[in-house]
Order: sequence, then structure tokens, then C-alpha cells
Amino acid sequence: MLKIWSMKKEQQKAENAEGAAGGKKKKVTAAQLRVQKDLSELSLGTTMTTEFPDPDDILSFILYIEPDEGMYYGGRFSFTFNITPNFPHEPPKVQCREKIYHPNIDLEGKVCLNILREDWKPVLNLNAVIVGLQFLFLEPNASDPLNKEAAEDLRQNREAFKRNVRAAMNGYTVKGEAFDKVMIQ
Amino acid sequence: MASADVYPASEPARWKYLDNVRTRSGPHTNPDIFDGKLVAEAMENMKVLVIGAGGLGCEILKNLALSGFKNIHVIDMDTIDISNLNRQFLFRQADVGSFKAEVAARFVERRVKGVKITPHNCKIQDFDEDFYMQFQLLVCGLDSIEARRWINATLVNMVDEDAEDSYKPLIDGGTEGFKGQARVIIPTVTSCIECQLDMHAPRAAVPLCTLASIPRQPEHCIEWAHVIAWDKEKPFPSLDKDDPEHITWLYQKALIRAHEFKIPGVTYALTQGVVKNIIPAIAATNSVIAAACCNEALKIAANCAPCLGFPDENNYMMYSGNDSIYTYTFRHEKKDDCPVCGNLARELIVDPDWTLRELVESFAVRPESQLKKPSIRSDHKTLYMQSPASLEAKSRPNLDKTLAELGLSSGDEIGVTDPAFATVSFKYKLKLQK
Amino acid sequence: MTEIVTSQTPPILNGPSEKERKYDRQLRLWAASGQAALESANILLVNSGAGTVGVEALKNLVLPGIGRFAIYDDALVNEADLGVNFFLDESCLGKSRSQSLTALLLELNPEVQGAWFPNRENVTSLESLLVSSPVFTAAIYTYPVQPEHLSLLKTYGLQHKIPLFGVHSAGFYSYFKIGLPGAFPIVDTHPDETATTDFRLLTPWPELLTFARDLTRDIDNLDHMEHGHLPYAVILLYYLDQWKLAHSGVSPKTYKEKTEFRKIVQSAARTDNAEGGEENFEEAAAAVLKTLVSPSLPSGLKEVFEYKSKFPAEERSGFWIIADAVEKFYAEHQCLPVPGNVPDMKAQSKVYVQLQNIYKAKARQDAAEVLNTVRATEGGQNIDPAEVELFCKNAAFVKLINATGGDSNSTASAGDHLKTVVDQELENDKNAEAMMMPLSLLPIYLALQATSHVSSANADEILAEICKVVPGANQNERIVKAAHEVARAEGGELHNIAALTGGMVAQEMIKIVTKQYVPIDNTCVFDGINSRCQVLRL
Repeated sequence: MLKIWSMKKEQQKAENAEGAAGGKKKKVTAAQLRVQKDLSELSLGTTMTTEFPDPDDILSFILYIEPDEGMYYGGRFSFTFNITPNFPHEPPKVQCREKIYHPNIDLEGKVCLNILREDWKPVLNLNAVIVGLQFLFLEPNASDPLNKEAAEDLRQNREAFKRNVRAAMNGYTVKGEAFDKVMIQ
Repeated sequence: MASADVYPASEPARWKYLDNVRTRSGPHTNPDIFDGKLVAEAMENMKVLVIGAGGLGCEILKNLALSGFKNIHVIDMDTIDISNLNRQFLFRQADVGSFKAEVAARFVERRVKGVKITPHNCKIQDFDEDFYMQFQLLVCGLDSIEARRWINATLVNMVDEDAEDSYKPLIDGGTEGFKGQARVIIPTVTSCIECQLDMHAPRAAVPLCTLASIPRQPEHCIEWAHVIAWDKEKPFPSLDKDDPEHITWLYQKALIRAHEFKIPGVTYALTQGVVKNIIPAIAATNSVIAAACCNEALKIAANCAPCLGFPDENNYMMYSGNDSIYTYTFRHEKKDDCPVCGNLARELIVDPDWTLRELVESFAVRPESQLKKPSIRSDHKTLYMQSPASLEAKSRPNLDKTLAELGLSSGDEIGVTDPAFATVSFKYKLKLQK
Repeated sequence: MTEIVTSQTPPILNGPSEKERKYDRQLRLWAASGQAALESANILLVNSGAGTVGVEALKNLVLPGIGRFAIYDDALVNEADLGVNFFLDESCLGKSRSQSLTALLLELNPEVQGAWFPNRENVTSLESLLVSSPVFTAAIYTYPVQPEHLSLLKTYGLQHKIPLFGVHSAGFYSYFKIGLPGAFPIVDTHPDETATTDFRLLTPWPELLTFARDLTRDIDNLDHMEHGHLPYAVILLYYLDQWKLAHSGVSPKTYKEKTEFRKIVQSAARTDNAEGGEENFEEAAAAVLKTLVSPSLPSGLKEVFEYKSKFPAEERSGFWIIADAVEKFYAEHQCLPVPGNVPDMKAQSKVYVQLQNIYKAKARQDAAEVLNTVRATEGGQNIDPAEVELFCKNAAFVKLINATGGDSNSTASAGDHLKTVVDQELENDKNAEAMMMPLSLLPIYLALQATSHVSSANADEILAEICKVVPGANQNERIVKAAHEVARAEGGELHNIAALTGGMVAQEMIKIVTKQYVPIDNTCVFDGINSRCQVLRL
């Protein structure tokens, strides 16, 4: 059998001297540790809060966004975050919990944000994702729509679109679709 | 240069070719670590674990059995599908639906007299370190990165510097079409699978908005059916990618959409390929890569020739057969900031009567960390998180509890992070001592 | 009363057949055409020595479904076979090895037929097998091989123009050599997809120009949506027009001009939108250096054209007639037929499909022109238009293997050639370390080749044999070590090395039978100690 031990000893530098120790207990996984780090570095500002239904499970939580400017001002939007053990190799799965009128969020709550899909890289962190989500409410993008009707609306007539956003946020029906009420009283 | 004496196995006539090479030194054998007298018996007593009984796994089992290993275990949770039969040569039409590990183990046992193969029809995650500790060597033929990362982290965590047998060499193979790779990982000694994660290209993804509004390729139509139309219409309670009825539903949806946008090329096979992320696979490539892996296993076990994975030597072989044959064998460097092998748990002696607050404060004065705002979790419990606010509030009551009250015991691992250290996190293994 | 049944469901869609399901993972590599070629292949294995490597190769051919195979092997199964060969078991001891192997290989795939020789009936020698059997598509023989068997096979190979694979595996080393009956062209080379983009932006045709100009006529007044979805090929054509206006009609040629052009494209992206930039302009800028190239003749095709003029008497198969026609096309247009594929790019569906159709139409037109030339050529009347289309589509990646001409199975002047390669490789080795290049594996080939016809030899015998070809070889440390390593095996195989080599041989056989992907030219040496291989032309 390969003499790994002697090889290792030769290679070992003093700095690692107090390194690993064996054991049979459960270990903190790379994904968990990375999420822990990302969470402790989140900068939520005044417009965002989190909620952990089970504080011991940091791989699933809810993010609330209350935009303080722009056309979605006054609303409270929530997103579920589900992180797999393959994080950060895979991006977190994010979904909007309310049915809202937004060119980049469809009626099922799917979000079109590049870093949640095609442009995700393991060096990105959860903060980058929440910044991206926040940005969607300030600058909805009509050129790359997920909700085509909303995008068309925004492109044709920004003022009319704004009115429809307000109506939808108040729980009214827009273009035949009933939306969830997300206005904070 | 070559020593003359052969030290035969228990059946010398049968194993003469193998014994000629594994029990005699050659011009490249390292005399400091080679002892031909011990090889045959040592290998017979060695326990080897094969992870995966698919395309690579079938080959690996055959190769190990014909390399002089006698005690082999194999894990695979899958059952045999008809599409396996073009390469998983231990399976027949009549085996479709049976467990791969079971059928493969029985077949090789029947064919190669004297080898014992123990099948485990389950996930690798169903076993703990006690199970993995019994093996001297692991050979891995998986198609999932997630499973590779899991076994890699498990083996790295098992390393105990003071126990030679806690270092479990992991030999990993992978193929795609005419290409593949074989690598040897010696936990904490060589670069590990996590260090090498960038060698796996992430699956190319298309923006959701492209799927939703401007599809251009047949794949876009299929993905649309898969991620958008399915969720909207929920034709079945949950998507079973192996159910032809489900695939047919997606295929029809994709066809209609492709027709609408005048996009040619949607087929049933493409639909299946996109939805299941099918990677082409053939017997020939599996044969090459599995044999490259088992060749390293033999060299590691017998020391009869230098293996991949020695410190400062090559540890990775890339193989490509698309355009002529090309191999690139190189040393992949260990990453100091690897979240798995660059960050081993240190021992931390704590008093069980300490409150969590005392533990938190102690990190401020530990020389290697000096953390001002540490957040602490164990694998299943959030002990104290400084942020975000909601988690801080929920975990704050823990600060006044003692470590014993929080259920912590010796051997538990905790992860400590601090925003002041953007790139590192710390892991500690607790040792409770009054 | 008549009932009118209306149904919204589309017509019944047939799923894949049983066979398509079984072969699904390989059909994704070589498609139905490759599979059909495999299924009509009839492969001969002349097995000898330890006898595993050829069987492992055959296993990897039976599984994907070759039509039939035959094994010629006059050995009887002994104990040592059971320690190395998986397709034999206890019950085979003392029986004919070819018979036992055939039985266990056939279990792998009920669609494959197999036969074994010598049998107790009419075929008692290799010679009688070669005479009586339907013509083989290719033959594999394993070393050590009886010289008379080898010469029979070489004669057969020449006579029937079939490829011969010689395979030698001993201990940690192996090599195999493919002898092709002549130049071997491949059209369906499966190039890397990223390499196949060919927009002809510097030589656009009228339909393409009109399309691009229509889309960009009012480029500054397009709304954000339209501007942000102009296909990058169209963007480049527009700015090329602009550039030419400012540069007396000349496109950017030098690297400096191209980078300057790239800057212009980059700075034309709008930033006053939600994204603060435009992906399509990023794609355009990134594609400048790769797509702004004048048409030229790729080396593979050049080799085909040159070979054609050197060996005009070569048998005129469809390939050569089409190659002739493509060369005429090239001479007339100074460019190859347009391949017609358009990579995915940011664009609206309708516009992208239009652009795709413009390229497809041009590709069809070019292929039709080539087909006309083919039809006008003697022997070209019956060539399948699909073959012409495939050639045109892949023209830039067509490759010729064994292009030195003639039969690489012939032994004449082989010794001289080997000597030259040895000198070259050993010379390279002197600088290998400084150049960070791996060392030559030729010593392994030499040591194995020295035992081509003997079951086992010691290091001195091997070195003496090598010295006959390479005088002074016994002074070269690496050759000496290789000789010792080969001697250690005493002609025995390690199963792993046999399986690995069998895998490579099967890959190559598949490439040659399907005429897809690119086979080696012509010898591959594997070093199981350092886990790497080298392809040499020997």
C-alpha cells in the first residue's frame, strides 16, 4: 500500500501542525459554510428583510423587498430562496411568492435575472443576487421580458404601465389577470 | 534492473501474468516502498470500494477483479435501464429494472473465481464515516458532480494525521463521448475534487427571457416546455424524466412552440437529451477511462510502479479521442483556499459550562482568527448569527445557554465566519473539557 | 346521425423504437448513418499470445452493435487465461479459446453474430478462413503474431483494401498501429462547434447585405428593444459598411485596424437602458477578430487537393469526385461553399430565423453548384446529393489520413522511416525538459516491437533486436529501461492495460468504420507507468 503517511509527513509544513483531527460526528459541509459566510455578509439596508422559517436550516429562507422609490414603491414583495447542497456550483433557486405585474417576473413567480441562471458563477454570492432582485424593481427591463404583455405595455406607454403596476399592486385585475395585493397599508 | 523473483499469489498458474509485474521490481519501481513478497497477500486483504455500477462501474469491477483485489464493495442506487445495455456489459435485457450494484456484483463474482463483491443498493450519502473508514482505496465512476463533491469532502474530513489508514486514496473517472479523465486524489495531500471543480464546465444555460419570448433554437423550445409550460399547466403531479408519457408531453409542447416560431429540429431524442441532460456514452471510452483508473489502483496497492497522485507528481490524465488520440497528464495544484481541503477543522478545547457568549467572545482573542463579529453554526444548528437581523434575533437567546445546554459534545464541528474575513471561514472540532 | 369528431391533440407521436432506446447514448455521437455502418461491419480478430487486448477491443464493438465478428485463435484455454481474460471462465479450461470467447462475447448483444476458428469442420487454418469467409471490413491481430499469419493478413489487406490493426500489450506498455489500405478521407469530422462559425462578413452576397441594411437603415432611431436585439452579424455588417465609407472601400485588415474597428462597435452600444449596456453589441465586439477573416483554404482540404493531383489514378470514389468539384468551386469563387449554419446569438426569433434562412439558402445554392459539377463529371451521375451537401457543409474540416499515399501496410522502406523517426524523437528528448514537453514514448514501441514474434524475451535479447534497427540503442538509458520493463512482463498482459488499449482500438475502429471523427495516423503508444500516450507516424 502506498506510503501516504510518510509522504504526507515530508510534505507537511509546521503551519498546519494543529490541522485536522478525525472523528465520526457530522461535519459542516462546504455549501453550508459558504451560505453562512454569505449570510453574515448580506447588506440588506432599509428596504430588505429576511425570514427563516427554521433558523437551523439556513438553506431555505424568505427575502422581503420594500422598494423605497420607483414604480414599485409602496409594495412588499417576497422571494423564496432554496439552496442545494451543490451550492455554489449551482445558483440558488429564487421565486417570487406573489403574483405581480412585472416584465421580468412571470405569473408563476419565475424571475429572469442573468445571475440566477446563465451568468451564475461560484464566485458570486447571495448579496449579488439580492442586489439584482432589488434592481429589478427600480429598473424593470422591457427589452428582455419574461412577462411579454407587461414588457409590451412598458415599451408602448410608460405612464400607462405605471398605472397598471399600481392597480396590480393593489390587487386589481390588469389585462384580464387578477394580481396579488402587495401594498403595505 | 528487474528483480528475478516472483512471489506468486495463492493460485500461481492463474495469476502468473499479474505476478510477473506486481511482485517484481522494474526499472521504474521505487525500491524504498516496494516489497514484492508482501504484494499478493496485501492485495487480497485489501478492501476496495467502487462507487457507481454504471458504464464506468461495470468496467471497474471487472478490472479490479482481474487485478488481484479480492474484497470489493460497490454502491449504486440506480436500477438498470434499457439505454444502459450499449455499454454496461454486465447487464442483459432480462436485468432491466433490477439494481445495478446487485446484478454487477453477482456477475463478476460468478465469472472471476475467488473474488467477493458486496453490493449496496443505496446512495453514498446513506453511509457515514464508519462505513468509509473500512476501505483502503476508493474507485469512483459517477456522473454527478454533487456526489463526487460529497464523497470528496467526506474523505478529506476523515483524515487524521496521526492515523495512517485514515488517508483514503480516491481514484475518479469520468467520460463524455470520446473524451474522459482519470485522476487520483489523496485527501489533503493532492488537490481534491473541490480544488478541481473548475475542470467541470457548468451546464450551459439560456436566459429565461429568451425561452419565454424569443426562442431561436429547438433546445429553447424544449427548455420552455420544461421550465415554463410544465409549471404552468402541471399535466402530471410531478415530472418524472424517465416516464415516456411525460417526455412525450414536453415534446409535443416544444413541437407546437417550435412550429409557432418556425424553428426546425425539435425531436423526441433531442427533447429527452435536453430534459435529462443526457451525456453521450460508449463502451470504448468507458473501457479506456476505467482501466486508467484501475491501473492506478493496482500501482497504489502494489507499489510496483509510480502512480499518479504522488506529491509533486502528476495527478490528472485528460483523454480525448475526437480528433486522433490525445492525452494530457499533468499535476493539478492544490488550492490553498479550497473550501474543503484548504480549510480543515482545527481542534478547539472548550468548557461545556461556557455560555455560547463566552465562546463567541473567545474568538476575539484566538491568535489565528481574532474575530470581532463571529457567526457560529454546527452542521444542523444555527448557534449564533450576527446577521441578517432576523436570524440574529432568533439565535440571540442561545448566547446565554451553555454549550452543554445547546447539545454540543466532543467531536462536533462548528463553522465560524466573520465579514472581516472575506475569503476564509474557520472550522473547529470541539473538545469539551472542564 | 353523423358525428363529427374534432380533436385538439396532435397526431400520435411515435416514441423511439426498442433499438433506438438501447443505442440512444451512442446515436447521439454517430447518428443513424454511423450506426448503419457499424451494423454492416464484419470484423476479424486474429488472437494470440496472452490474448486479452483483442477481446477487450471486440467487446467494445459488440456492445454498440457491429454486424458480425470472427475470432481466429488456435490456443486452448489455460489457467493463465482466467487471470487476465474476462470472457473466459472455469468451464472453458482446455477448450478452444476462440470458441469460448465467441460464446461469451455473443451474450453481450443478441443482435451481433460471431464465428470462431479454427473449427472442427472445414476451416482449419487462417488461410482457409480468409479464403472461405465473406470479406471482412477490417482485421485486428494481436502480438506476438506468427510471421506467416501476419503475411497472410497483409496480403489479404492489400487485396481487399481493408484496414489492419496490429495491437501489442505487455505489462504496463502497449501500442497499436493502424495500417490503412490507402489515403483515408473523412468528411464528417465533428469539429468543435465553436470553430464552425463562418459568416463571410468580408464577402457578403446581395441577399445578406440587403437584409442587414434593411435592419440597420435607421439604426439610431430603433427603440431599445430592436436595437438591443440586432443580431451581431448584422451589427458587424453595418459597421463594416461605415468603416469602408471612411477607408476608401477597404475593410479592416491588420490586427491594429481590427482592434480599432472593435472599439467602434463597442462604443456604439447604448448605455441609457435598464441594463446599462447591450449584450448583442458585446457579442459583436467579441466576434470581430474571429469573424473578420478573408476566406482561405484550410490545411486539411489543401492536403486533399494536393493529394488528388499527386495521385490522379487513385480510385475515383464519390469523395474524390466531390473534392474535384469543390476545388473547381474554390478556383472560381476564391472561397468554399457557405456551410450555412448560424450559431445562436442574441436576436428576436423572427429575425434570427430569417438570417438563418439566408445562410441556408446560400448554402443550398453553393451545394447545388457543386452538385452540377459533380454530375458533369464521369462517374458523378449517381452520387447522392446528400453526400455533396455534407461535403460542402464540412468542407473546411475535411481531413485526409495516411496522406503520403500508397499502402501503409507495406514493409518496404519501413525500416528507413523508423530510423528517421527514432533520430528525430531522441533528438527532441534532449530538449524536452527545457521545452516542458513530455518525453517520447518511442522507446516503448521499440521494446515491444522487438518481441513481435516471440512469446517472451529477456532485456538483452530485446536490446539486441532493437539494435538491429537502431544501432547503439543499448546506450540509450530510456530504451534500456523500456527493454527491462517489457522483459519484466514476460509477454504477459496486465488486464488494465489490455482493457485500456482495447478501448482505444475500438474507438479507432468505430471512427474508421463510420467514417466519422478523426482516427490516429497511424501508431498510438501507451505508457501505463506515466499514464499517457503518444501518437506517432511510423
